[in-house]
Amino acid sequence: MKRKGKFSLSSLYLIIILLLMYLPVVMVIIYSFNASKSDAVWGGFTFEWYGKMLHNRSLMDALRNSLILAVCSCAVSAVIGTIGAVGIAQGDFKAKGIIENGSMLPIMVPEIILGMVFLAFFSLLKLPFGMITLVIAHTTFCIPYIFIVVKGRLAGLDRSIGEAARDLGATEMRMFFDITLPLIAPAVASGTLLAFAMSLDDVVISFFVTGAQTNTLPIKIYSQIKLGVSPEINALCTVMLLVTFLVICLSGWIGSGRKKRNPMKEETDL
Amino acid sequence: MKRRSKAFWLVVPLYVVTIVLVFLPLLYIVALSFLKKDVLWGVTNEWTLGNYRQMLDPVYLKTFGDSLKLAFATTVITTLLGYPFGYFMAKLPPRWRSTCMLLVVVPFWTNALVRIYGWMIILRAKGVLNAALMAMGIISQPLKILYTYSAVLIGMVYSLLPFMILPVYNSVEKLDWSLVEASRDLGANAVEAFFTVTLKLTLPGVLSGFVLVFVPSIGLFFIADLLGGGKIMLVGNLIKNQLLQARDWPFGAALSVMMMLLTLLIILLYRKVTGAKDLEGFF
Amino acid sequence: MKKVLSLLLAALSVSLAFTGCQKGENASSQSTPASQANSQEPAKGTSEAKELNIFTWDGYFPQDVQDAFTAETGIKLNFSNFETNEEMLTKLQASNAGDYDIVVVSDYMVAIMNELGGLLKEIDKSKVPNYENLDPAYLGKFYDPENLYTVPYGPGAPLIVYDPATCPVEIKGYADLWNPALQDSLVLMDSSRVIIGITLKTMGRSFNETDTAVLSEAKEKLMGLKPNVRTLSVNNLQDVILSGEASAGFMFTSQVAMALDANPELQVVYPEEGLGFGIDCLTVAANAPHPENAFAFLNFLLEPQTAASVSSQIYYLCPNTAAQEFLPEAYKQNGAFATPSAMLAEAEFVEDVGTELAAEYEKIWTEFKQQ
Repeated sequence: MKRKGKFSLSSLYLIIILLLMYLPVVMVIIYSFNASKSDAVWGGFTFEWYGKMLHNRSLMDALRNSLILAVCSCAVSAVIGTIGAVGIAQGDFKAKGIIENGSMLPIMVPEIILGMVFLAFFSLLKLPFGMITLVIAHTTFCIPYIFIVVKGRLAGLDRSIGEAARDLGATEMRMFFDITLPLIAPAVASGTLLAFAMSLDDVVISFFVTGAQTNTLPIKIYSQIKLGVSPEINALCTVMLLVTFLVICLSGWIGSGRKKRNPMKEETDL
Repeated sequence: MKRRSKAFWLVVPLYVVTIVLVFLPLLYIVALSFLKKDVLWGVTNEWTLGNYRQMLDPVYLKTFGDSLKLAFATTVITTLLGYPFGYFMAKLPPRWRSTCMLLVVVPFWTNALVRIYGWMIILRAKGVLNAALMAMGIISQPLKILYTYSAVLIGMVYSLLPFMILPVYNSVEKLDWSLVEASRDLGANAVEAFFTVTLKLTLPGVLSGFVLVFVPSIGLFFIADLLGGGKIMLVGNLIKNQLLQARDWPFGAALSVMMMLLTLLIILLYRKVTGAKDLEGFF
Repeated sequence: MKKVLSLLLAALSVSLAFTGCQKGENASSQSTPASQANSQEPAKGTSEAKELNIFTWDGYFPQDVQDAFTAETGIKLNFSNFETNEEMLTKLQASNAGDYDIVVVSDYMVAIMNELGGLLKEIDKSKVPNYENLDPAYLGKFYDPENLYTVPYGPGAPLIVYDPATCPVEIKGYADLWNPALQDSLVLMDSSRVIIGITLKTMGRSFNETDTAVLSEAKEKLMGLKPNVRTLSVNNLQDVILSGEASAGFMFTSQVAMALDANPELQVVYPEEGLGFGIDCLTVAANAPHPENAFAFLNFLLEPQTAASVSSQIYYLCPNTAAQEFLPEAYKQNGAFATPSAMLAEAEFVEDVGTELAAEYEKIWTEFKQQ
């Protein structure tokens, strides 16, 4: 009984903070229906911006580029960051400390100078600016988010499990997939989610490494300084949120069906 | 020996990325910071220490001070709010945990600028917050929150909270609760057990969170610009203005180098003080 | 150490190999400078790919104008955006003035680019016959005295706007912004050159002051403005006035126009000390992959009806004489576009002062903001 009371108090805290986190997003959703072009006044209810958004080809192109970019760079950096963190935790290499700290540098270097350096660097290498340079640059600054979170998770994990498995003759490969990966899966997932948010939102580095035909959504939004941010963006954000929640609900629904059959897995499922 | 060589291949991609895409560009930045700017655009071939000397000007030192102050305030508040969140989240029934994790991150998939506009709608004099407070009879005059330091703090904490929550969650979730039980059995009360065992064991998570919150908060300036009314000059602003407005790339580079060194120093200091480093690297 | 070095070498060779195949793959498209020759060689109008790459702030080309051009010519418009002129130039230099066709550039930056040389292409007037629709008042400016490289597109003069319902004083010029009655109630654009510029104007000096002694005087004066500043901002300044957060503001033409649109009660002020002025121009990149399409687009934009439609949607002054009769009534009524032409003729461009002085201006601005 006592346990249950404690639980609800902590749930209350979670709910309050979550509500606060959603508050500004709710404003974005509400103002996507604002007939006035300005956020400053409420001009009545309209669907106008949703229609305009769909007809805005450059906006749709930018959205597509941003999504492709975020998915690609997160996938690549999830792999590099995860195995990197595992490798660093297991082995004792030359220059380990330098690499360990060095891989965090991309989030310490001010974006704008990193962007300018990437620009110089890629033109020196004669890489054509476009999706490839974007993915390379984003991967570089996405890795730290995954690396750091996974490293934090690995710290203090019971090394005896690994040793026991090895004693039982498990190969390195088996060990990684059967033991290590399930243990760190929540960290990989949360790191990747954060990296995805960072990639989807990056404007400065993207600007310097993008090409003439790969505009991204944040670049477009930040360049609306002359006429103000268009309410179409509010509409777009609303749609993106809706789709995300649909996907979450759907995967939760599918996942709950699967979990019933495999209760052991549920800890690490996303 | 064999085990080591296999683990080595795991870190090769990380080594390559770090060396090619981090260290090489870094060398470039450092080199740039010792050059002289050109009259019209770009840099000349002359070497100088002037860019670092220029930084000693009180105007610029103050900017560093202001940035650090804001970053510290942000990190402390974020930790105070984020630790309990991550902790409680890890104690949720397993099927709720991943849902909660997604709920934390999803708002951050909408554009940052648009989200900050959302806060402006809430915080302004005729905004949602004042209307609510006045309707409840708590205040009779609208509060001036927007374009103040508090508004900046709200925006910063809001934007960086997930970066504390998730690492904390990850280290609490894997915690060996039998250790906590043991300390309770040895006579520690809940609070003592938390501070002597739980907190200590989750310190690596807090360290990750610290890095992910503190580091970006030094460079993050558009929140201060929008919610603070552009009345706070942060290193991030300064670097951007030097690179773009003043077209002084070397000075911008020198400021960046200094900012990185400061950040590294603070992280090392933090590790030393909390002893978090000792908990890392076991598996 | 040896390991690290060999790794470094390996990584470099990998990335170089990578570059090599990238270039091979891309030879058929138009995105590398090296391949531009391919797309230009067959040349003369029709043989260019039906594409046009535009580098601009977002919102400068209304959707209906884009659609009409694509419908008429079959040319697809690709947009990429930048936030500041300086970022644009960095990017354009890295692409060797290729990749992009049409580039939107502000006045002072055109001057810098021409001084650097090799970045802009001369506009072939025979392919842009509508060039003569342009109002001579906007031609022959300091950045392009012979009208070789630019089409004036978005001219404007920042103006003061205030809400008489909440503003305790009547504002006539910049000097009134210092009035203590306006404490904590101004919204100003976050631009060192413009705000220091109006400070200089109140002292009877130029926006482009080069005397450092005068500048430090201006700094002292500027510090006195600080208590009145509610917010400095780069975007959506009109919202700050409209939401009642500030009662007076100094902002770009387009923002003043939008504020007046949403609340006609607002008062617009043409500052008596004299206006600052700016023109965002259309230019063609020197190594543009689709120059013919670019000229066709310029000509299209200069058609009287199109030009009127553009100006009334992007909220700038209309530099097209032939377009005046097509401008909608609401546009003509808006005070932001009714600046007396005598004042416009006297208006002063905010010109580049060189990096040495720019640093001086920036330092004053840093101090002003952090006080």
